Amino acid sequence: MDATRIAFIVLAAVAVVSAFRVVTAPKIMHAALWLGFTFMLVAGVFVTLGAEFLAAAQVLVYVGAVTTIILFGIMLSQAAEVRSRDPLQRERLEGAAFWRRGVLPVLATVAFVAIMVTVYMRVPWPAPPGGVIDTVRLIGSALFTTYVIPFELAAVLLLIALVGAIVLAVRDDNKEEQGS
Amino acid sequence: MTTIPLTYPLTLGAILFGLVLYGALTQRNAIRILMCVELMLNAVNINLVAFAATLREAAAAGQIFALFVMTVAAAEVALALAIILILARRESHIDIERVHLLRW
Repeated sequence: MDATRIAFIVLAAVAVVSAFRVVTAPKIMHAALWLGFTFMLVAGVFVTLGAEFLAAAQVLVYVGAVTTIILFGIMLSQAAEVRSRDPLQRERLEGAAFWRRGVLPVLATVAFVAIMVTVYMRVPWPAPPGGVIDTVRLIGSALFTTYVIPFELAAVLLLIALVGAIVLAVRDDNKEEQGS
Repeated sequence: MTTIPLTYPLTLGAILFGLVLYGALTQRNAIRILMCVELMLNAVNINLVAFAATLREAAAAGQIFALFVMTVAAAEVALALAIILILARRESHIDIERVHLLRW
């Protein structure tokens, strides 16, 4: 048991607990904060797996941008259940909803995790190579040679998403009154 | 590159994905479902990074793919929140069980 492996196990255990809190925290604001914490822990997992550049990108994009945007979304939407307790925690499920939202998700989740972990345990994976290689340099050169077209397309995708989000979110009072 | 056996991060990815899959299927709050979807993409990224760390000849490809997943996730969260804000403005709630827009 070397230090990297212990660090990984600790980070993984805390990440699973905090992901569980994202799903179960009664207040949506707390869930958003747990979400940011989970993203930080996943960044730590990336570091233990030797992906320093992705860890930095994870902190910048997910912790810095996504969590902040979600917090803004929570604060900007005036719907009552966004800010107060989730009314969905204590409701009773009856009839079809019991199967659709009570039983089926549990079955699907347990089956998925069981199948995946069984497969992972049975496959003879190659041993971890050990040693250190400079992944940042590797990614940098590959991104601007082999993957330059996907890279440019990603930039266009982000621009389209930005414009689309602005177009969607701009308040258009005239249209809303007509109900369109 | 790493001394962690490949099964560890793969199992972590599967457990994280399962947890948030359960959340996405059971929750009714649109923002919480969005959070769950974001965490799903993150769980997938753990798998990609794990393979990149063990299969050395694929190191660049795995991490770059994870990077593109992040890009798409960032674009997705911006659009999804814009839609949720419209929903909150029109219906004054974001309970997806009570929404009848965008349904077939």
